[in-house]
Amino acid sequence: MNPLEDIRPITLQVSAIGGEGGGVLASWIVAAAQHAGYPVQSTSIPGVAQRTGATIYYLEVFPVPIANLNGKRPVLALYPGVGDIDIMLASEFAEAGRAISNGFVTPDRTHLIASTHRVYAIDERSNMADGRYDTDRLYTAAEERTKASYLADYRQLAQAKGISLNAVLLGVLASIDILPMTKADYLFAIEQSGLAVGSNAQGFEIGFNHEFEKNRAASGATSVTAETNESSSSKLQSRVHDEFPIFCHAVLLEGITRLSHYQDTDYAAQYLDRLAPIWKKENDADGFGEVTAETGRQLALRMSYEDVIRVAQLKSAPDRLERIREEVGAKQDEPVVVVDYLKPGIDELCSILPATFGRWVMGFAERRGWQDKGNFGLHLKSTTVTGYLQLRFLASLKRWRRGTYRYTEEQASIETWLADVEAGLDLDPHLALEIVECARLIKGYGDTHRRGTSNFNIIRDKAILPALSNRLAIEGAADVIANARAAALSDPEGTRLADMTEEIENSVSSTVAD
Amino acid sequence: MERSFKKEVETLRIGNGETFHGEGILGVTKALLQSGVSYVGGYQGAPVSHLMDVLSDAEPLLDELGIHFEVCANEASAAAMLAASVNYPIRGAVTWKSVVGTNVAADGLSNLASAGVKGGALIVVGEDYGEGSSIIQERTHAYAMKSAMCLIDPRPELPTIVRMVEEAFRLSEASNMPSILELRIRACHVYGHFDAKDNANPQFSRNNRIPNAEFDFSRVCLPPATYSQEKHKIEHRLPAAVRYITEHNLNEVFDGDVPEIGVIVQGGIYNTLMRAMRQFGLADSYGNCRISTLVLNVTYPLAPEEIAKFCIGKDAVLVVEEGQPEFLEQAINAILRRKDVNTKIVGKDVFPMAGEYTSEVMLKGVHGFLSNYAPYGLNVDDALQRIDALFSDREGVREILGDSLPLRTPSFCTGCPERPIFSALKIMEKELGEAHISADIGCHTFAALPPFNVGNTVMGYGLGLASSAGLAPSFHKRVISIMGDGGFWHNGMSSGVAAAQANGNDAVLLVVKNGYTSATGWQLLPSSLRDRYGKKRDMSIERVLRGFGIRWLKVIRSYSIARMVKTLRKAMTTPEGGLKVIVADGECQLARQRRIRPEIAKRLKDGKRDVRTRFGVDEDVCTGDHSCIRLSGCPSLTIKPSSDPLRTDPVAHVNNDCVGCGVCGEVSHAAVLCPSFFEARIVRNPNTMDKLLWKLRRGFISILSPKMKSVASL
Repeated sequence: MNPLEDIRPITLQVSAIGGEGGGVLASWIVAAAQHAGYPVQSTSIPGVAQRTGATIYYLEVFPVPIANLNGKRPVLALYPGVGDIDIMLASEFAEAGRAISNGFVTPDRTHLIASTHRVYAIDERSNMADGRYDTDRLYTAAEERTKASYLADYRQLAQAKGISLNAVLLGVLASIDILPMTKADYLFAIEQSGLAVGSNAQGFEIGFNHEFEKNRAASGATSVTAETNESSSSKLQSRVHDEFPIFCHAVLLEGITRLSHYQDTDYAAQYLDRLAPIWKKENDADGFGEVTAETGRQLALRMSYEDVIRVAQLKSAPDRLERIREEVGAKQDEPVVVVDYLKPGIDELCSILPATFGRWVMGFAERRGWQDKGNFGLHLKSTTVTGYLQLRFLASLKRWRRGTYRYTEEQASIETWLADVEAGLDLDPHLALEIVECARLIKGYGDTHRRGTSNFNIIRDKAILPALSNRLAIEGAADVIANARAAALSDPEGTRLADMTEEIENSVSSTVAD
Repeated sequence: MERSFKKEVETLRIGNGETFHGEGILGVTKALLQSGVSYVGGYQGAPVSHLMDVLSDAEPLLDELGIHFEVCANEASAAAMLAASVNYPIRGAVTWKSVVGTNVAADGLSNLASAGVKGGALIVVGEDYGEGSSIIQERTHAYAMKSAMCLIDPRPELPTIVRMVEEAFRLSEASNMPSILELRIRACHVYGHFDAKDNANPQFSRNNRIPNAEFDFSRVCLPPATYSQEKHKIEHRLPAAVRYITEHNLNEVFDGDVPEIGVIVQGGIYNTLMRAMRQFGLADSYGNCRISTLVLNVTYPLAPEEIAKFCIGKDAVLVVEEGQPEFLEQAINAILRRKDVNTKIVGKDVFPMAGEYTSEVMLKGVHGFLSNYAPYGLNVDDALQRIDALFSDREGVREILGDSLPLRTPSFCTGCPERPIFSALKIMEKELGEAHISADIGCHTFAALPPFNVGNTVMGYGLGLASSAGLAPSFHKRVISIMGDGGFWHNGMSSGVAAAQANGNDAVLLVVKNGYTSATGWQLLPSSLRDRYGKKRDMSIERVLRGFGIRWLKVIRSYSIARMVKTLRKAMTTPEGGLKVIVADGECQLARQRRIRPEIAKRLKDGKRDVRTRFGVDEDVCTGDHSCIRLSGCPSLTIKPSSDPLRTDPVAHVNNDCVGCGVCGEVSHAAVLCPSFFEARIVRNPNTMDKLLWKLRRGFISILSPKMKSVASL
């Protein structure tokens, strides 16, 4: 028996995304192994690397120095093997998940180093609502399916110091000490490559010295955590505290703040007036405030609909310029000119016309099919004196808002929706909650807004009204509405929603026939 | 090309006693020099572009050795280059991506192989098959068989690859057959080392020219010579090749201690086989395998004696052959049948017929073989169970992760000038209804993937327009054809433009002009602004088109979406017949960034004024519908969790990679999406005027700004 026979190559895969420096990272590891005198091989599927695709680098290091091998050459593989990987280095979290699901991470031997930030894939980004992959699944897999995992948002660590992610990952790799190379070998590799040596060496140290804690970042939807200040309670705040259950307070406080700023305190008071009957009914049905809170959230959004006045208000907000400067990374003394891309048309015009006149113009435009015509492009320099004045002028139209066409339309639509919610509460709180959620469809501008509104109306006609009038079996009604909503959000063309409504119609007629 | 390969060029100079470190394809390049080639040519394409890139930067070295390097117009011209070795004893090599490039080269190759060669002729093909491939899935093997060319598929480690390049020339000379060296993607990119040799001075070259012209009718592809050439292949060339292969041990036998079974494997997948054997406990880390293995570094022609000798006395032999049809398995069966050897050949019955042999496929295939044919003495039950457990274990993973990890399909880069073209097409389709798009090869093919899903057929490089000729007359509206500038020069100007014009076809052609063959790594084109020495070039697509008599010709800046929509609308609706061409002009953004980044850095260092443009989204204005992403797909236009506690859907967000091309803003403008986008112009090294103006504006704005009310005052 050959004494060397049981020594096997240490296998490592780098899973990266094009443009993240996976290739350089692999070349550092190769150079470090070469410097230390170990046989090393790397290969890659760079494929369409610079074009945002997933890229894979696969390396093997044989942990016996070439000098001790007496001329023998290990046969090193070009493919990662299922159940045969010692180290998986993922520069993005979903890529770690992909490696796990491909069988390249196994609990008996794989050490997983992964940056927990997400780079969203196109399907996640282009979803009409929220198509993000559930990060919790990745955390669970990283915990349960590895021998050890070293997770952190390394990109954030790197970006905070203005250095590149791959150097930090190399440092982490060196610190876990599975490969036979020493810290000096890696630093030599960085030096030899001649690429931004100083900052890469600094990045390496950050990774090398990183302390791992089980600090799992909160993921998913942001929760409402508006701070309440009990001692300086105003009239509206007192109303929230006195009239509504504690479960709703955070959302409702946010709502009154938003609407006071959007319009005035009377408008915010109206908001609470509208919610009061909802809570009363929910309370009667032994609810704890879930429906009221969700209605409060959606109602605040619906009441602060985005008309020209609102957009101008947000674009001339006092903190906007600072926020933009920070976002684009402008330095202290660097002037920033902001140009806004606006393209107002008939919708925008009608939103500020008096109700009767606006209705007439809109009706005229609809009959002629002119809704999409007549938009004129505007590149508004909002940081110039005249540009800013224009925004402030539009924002100041707020005082006329209650008389505008758009306002009348929105308020009528809100009242109808709230009446449906109330009627739903009389039947089943789950049904009510689903009716509330449908408000999510109405968002955006122009065509997007029209499409959302029309989808909302379709669901109302085909599912909500049948459910409220007992033409649709009450047990399944909440699910039917939820499914229809998901269908409406699955494609902008409305194909799936059309299929779904056909199904619902069939079930409605069969219920009637029964 | 904007990238420099000077460092790699230096490694090509090393000689005896030195060790070469580098990627497989670079090792091949070095081996060509060691073999004394007189000329090298090719057409770029992954995974062999690197060979071309490095040589085009190696001018002084090539001058010293007298080697001519030609950047060919396409693979057909590259294949034709090998004609130099038909009459004269000079060695040459060409390279391209296979199987697509071999398809284009087929005419030249057939004639070359029929004529036969005097000097060694080598074709280095990147076998772009399996994971990471960007083309149709076929084998190069069929070409070797039909035209009688030797096919070399070396073990994927640098010493063997390099040795096989050198042998390929000798084999070609010994047999008068051209040789093909086939390297898979991973082998092209494998990083390793080998003991280098000195570069060889070719006998004849630019430095020592061939003195006399030779005329030999037997080498002209014209009947009756073609009849005798075919006979010569059978009677002389193939036997000579087989003789050379066996005499020089080009194929390798590694003996094991299990007499009953054996494996015959293509050289290129030997390492994957050995790793699987190791996982079954049948091999160590050095390739000492208990089961005898015949490694075919040459997969065509096979040496019948060698095959028979290996199989005689064995009950069963596994043939590990990637791809389909199973040429090797059929040939080996035929050889054994003719020699009346009764060894059972196992191949595609335990391996899948189609697809790459990854480690997983290999494990399962070997598993299938051992389960059925492992002799009694060989206890593999434990190993089989262990491997079974590995695969069943993956069900548990699926439960945690679900079936749908987000797919990361390739897309256009940040700031790519091709994205706005397809945004414009989408916007036009919204108006005029869906169009049939006859797509082409290039980065623009990615338009067929999300978010655009544009492009109904892809028929080959440069064939976008040609592939609409049959459909267009029977289609209810004009068909739009796409062609890149790469495809235009490769063949599209004749196969597409000249043909459509000559036939008087009523067609719309969109030429995507970005100045490089970007998809293969930014090689230069005849219409690139400058040649590789930085000198201005004077070849233009527009002038060719005018020369062809195209009257309806519009050149539009790619980023001008609104103008592009208007022009497309016009092209689709104008009563004018004939070919209508729109040239979408915009430099490849990656190449541009690589060019201007150092210039900007220098300007900033010198304290000169510079305006950086970036785009952004006002997250409180964005309502999270993501229409902008569906119409743009820019990698830097992404999403982030909304910081608005009332909104649950993520909002659009422009990240720091933004290069300020403005497509996102233009799209939302042209498609009337929303007012969320803004452009920020950051003035770096501002002058006194900038500073003054800034101070004034800032002061004014802060006076006019409304004051935020606090919650407490409500």
